[in-house]
Amino acid sequence: MDIFTTFKVAASALEAQRIRLDTISSNIANVETTSTPEGGPYKKKSVYFESTPVSFDQHLQGSIEKNIKGVKVAKILEDDSPPKKVYNPSHPDADKEGYVAMPNVNVLKEMTDMMSATRSYEANTTTIKSAKRMALKALEIGR
Amino acid sequence: MQPIKPIDLPLLQPEKKPAPVDQAGQSFSTMITDLVANVEQQQEKADMAVQQLHAGNAKNLHETMIAMEEADISIRFMVQVRNKALEAYQEIMRMQV
Repeated sequence: MDIFTTFKVAASALEAQRIRLDTISSNIANVETTSTPEGGPYKKKSVYFESTPVSFDQHLQGSIEKNIKGVKVAKILEDDSPPKKVYNPSHPDADKEGYVAMPNVNVLKEMTDMMSATRSYEANTTTIKSAKRMALKALEIGR
Repeated sequence: MQPIKPIDLPLLQPEKKPAPVDQAGQSFSTMITDLVANVEQQQEKADMAVQQLHAGNAKNLHETMIAMEEADISIRFMVQVRNKALEAYQEIMRMQV
């Protein structure tokens, strides 16, 4: 275990939260998208996290370090809930009755998710700052 | 009939000396050289990270920042080691003979 373990763990969380924010931005950007290459309206995407060991050389790790886990995005899944139907007969993607299938993205929910991702990112940068402060305090011992 | 065995007192046995540690390759100067090489490696890593970020190849901004922080802490540590070594040297030089 070295003093940079905290950095590694926090860095993995920062990357995961950044990917989460990418997904949220994709959802917000496509809130009005009615056609996709796969057909049908855009479907809301959400990330699912998974814990990972910090370093790859498992054999070198002590029993304590085995319990310290980083995080990564395990998968990004589409939400299969039904699309919102909006009556708009002049729309090119409207069906026979004149209804357009709009994406199942809730902008309010995306905004709160975005705030949560930003705060998590901030929390992990604070962890890094804290680890650095501890290391610098340790260097002050000799003074 | 069994013969009387001598009492085996482990505390009275002469202690076995631990095997001498091979210190031939670990002199003070090699330690310092290793340290400097390690710090230089961190600096190079940070340099590479900054270059990649400028070239637009870096995946994440925070990885560059963390590489720079690691380089910063390493060099501060090296400076502390140098201060200590210099202090010890000056202490010896001040010694009355």
